[in-house]
Amino acid sequence: MRILLVEDDRSITQALERALRTQGYSVNTVVDGKSALLAVASDRPDLVVLDLGLPDMDGLDVLKLIRGRDVDLPVLLLTARAGVDDKVAGLDCGADDYLAKPFEMSELFARLRVMERRLTTARTAEITIGTVTLDINHNLVTVDGEAVELSRREFMLLKSLMENAGRVQTRDTLESRLYSWGEEVSSNALEVHVHHLRKKLGAAFIKTVRGVGYRIDSE
Amino acid sequence: MNSIRVFLVVVILAVITLFSFLAALRGYQSSMLEAERLFDKQLLDTARLIANIHTEHTARNIGSEASLAFQVWHGERLIAGSRNAPETPIAPFEHGFDHANFAGYRWRTAGYLDPASGNWILVADRADLRYALAENVILESLFPTLVGLPVVGVLIWFIVTGGLRPLRTLARELAARQADDLSPLAIATPKKELEQIVTSSNGLLQRLETALLRERQFASDAAHELRTPIAALKLEVYNLTRDPGTEAGLAGELEHTVERLGHIVEQILDLYRSSPDRYNATFERIDLDALAREVVAGMFDAFERKRQGIELDGAPCPVLGDRFALRTLLENLLSNANKYTPAGGRILVSVGRSGDNARLVVEDSGPGIPEDQRAAVFERFYRIGRDRHPSGESGCGLGLAIVKRLVELHRGSIHIGPSRFASGTAFTVSIPATEPPTTAPRAPRKQDGSDS
Repeated sequence: MRILLVEDDRSITQALERALRTQGYSVNTVVDGKSALLAVASDRPDLVVLDLGLPDMDGLDVLKLIRGRDVDLPVLLLTARAGVDDKVAGLDCGADDYLAKPFEMSELFARLRVMERRLTTARTAEITIGTVTLDINHNLVTVDGEAVELSRREFMLLKSLMENAGRVQTRDTLESRLYSWGEEVSSNALEVHVHHLRKKLGAAFIKTVRGVGYRIDSE
Repeated sequence: MNSIRVFLVVVILAVITLFSFLAALRGYQSSMLEAERLFDKQLLDTARLIANIHTEHTARNIGSEASLAFQVWHGERLIAGSRNAPETPIAPFEHGFDHANFAGYRWRTAGYLDPASGNWILVADRADLRYALAENVILESLFPTLVGLPVVGVLIWFIVTGGLRPLRTLARELAARQADDLSPLAIATPKKELEQIVTSSNGLLQRLETALLRERQFASDAAHELRTPIAALKLEVYNLTRDPGTEAGLAGELEHTVERLGHIVEQILDLYRSSPDRYNATFERIDLDALAREVVAGMFDAFERKRQGIELDGAPCPVLGDRFALRTLLENLLSNANKYTPAGGRILVSVGRSGDNARLVVEDSGPGIPEDQRAAVFERFYRIGRDRHPSGESGCGLGLAIVKRLVELHRGSIHIGPSRFASGTAFTVSIPATEPPTTAPRAPRKQDGSDS
């Protein structure tokens, strides 16, 4: 997995390069926006980690220019600005994820893994966690290679949870994904779907966070 | 005299009174002179009249009014006189006026030599009666002034009150301001006298706002500038802990210290950001229940690392608030519960209505906060047991100070009590809810068991 790191602070780039290499990533570092655009155009990386505070141009403008040419390239924003507005602005400009400095290395790895999984999913249209494999193109779910019959909504729910494995998905998020905007949702519909999924995939696969939502472990 | 109004009324009334009486006095004097002149003329006319009606024979003790006395002298001989006149001349034998005392009174006298008969006519009228008459006239003219003074006083009171109204409007405008409201005074066309005050005040407010903005900008910039090196430090420490050549204890200690440094910077930034003026404009309707779910979901890893069971017991609960502020509030309370509850403990978050308020309770099965320290934990930089807290956690003591500020920002209250577990603390936050509680059952939702 080749990562383009766009960051002008040398103390960060050095440490980050080393840490990422220990995880098996190959890292190419540039220190300003123009070089970043050049690097994306000439030798497309698999992932971009983009700092918003660059010496020559605003990181958000760099992001917009990248998006203008390459819609699919995953971009993770790094920033020392931590307001909600900054986060929204970043995601609105087409960032895939957002991490505020100072961050935990484990957090960065987790985010990169999610983005990687999305890349793999996009390429193979498959997500595999544990014994469960979800084939997006064919609406097919297998457990230990055995096909399992799921309703459309159960499939959507499982897809949402598996795509975000390792993170708790709140009831609100899952309900809004499941049902089109404005459609009435019965108060226990989500529980019913999860109950069905557990029966088909094994009781421990989907974890409940009482009152909050559900989660599938990433490993 | 503290009131401008009272001062003005008293002073104006005093001046009016003083000048009224000076004018009255002056009038009195000139009236007296005028009266004197008139009475004298009358006295002389009387003398002429007596000269004309006088006959040759002697007539003494002629009755006359008590206020008038007269004598007619021919040479040294008194040939006629009123009863109240003495035997001696009541005035010198010369033209003109004089005063004399006889018959127990003071008299004004006049002498007149009748050219036809060569008789001296001496007449006199009582001085005291003259003055009494004059004084009556003058007092009557003064009377309206005396009666009018209270009326004038009341009028002045109203006029002064009306004149001071712009000043009172300005005072009210200033008094009604929130301490953090630095917008210019909203007085469109101030009176000329207040123009300078309004202009100066607005200038001051403007400068204050600029200074505050600069201070906040500085805090934000400083924290922002600190974040990058702290991030670098964290990364280096991470690499160090992964390096097999590093002494494990040293790396752990370093990691702990850097963690704490980062935490303090974030908290200071939060404290600056939680100043009330920042938030007022961004209040919106927020479901506290949904927000709590979001925050718990985001922090779930931290709870799982300590194998803490976290549960949320929530009901829809709309409040008017700032999303970032309420999120920070929840994060701080939950992070506290996470830190100070031992591994394997339990944390319960409840969101619901209590009367007109939205109520958020975060309780844990930790060691709890001794009753005598419950008020102090909201003070800045206060930490229970300082750095020797049994949890071994590093905080900076700003978290609850920030929470308290954010609660106050939402006009709410917070208090600490025992949790419903065997030990532990319950933080209860009450914030005014946006709607009165609905007693009607929730609209039935479409039961959607069958999937399409």
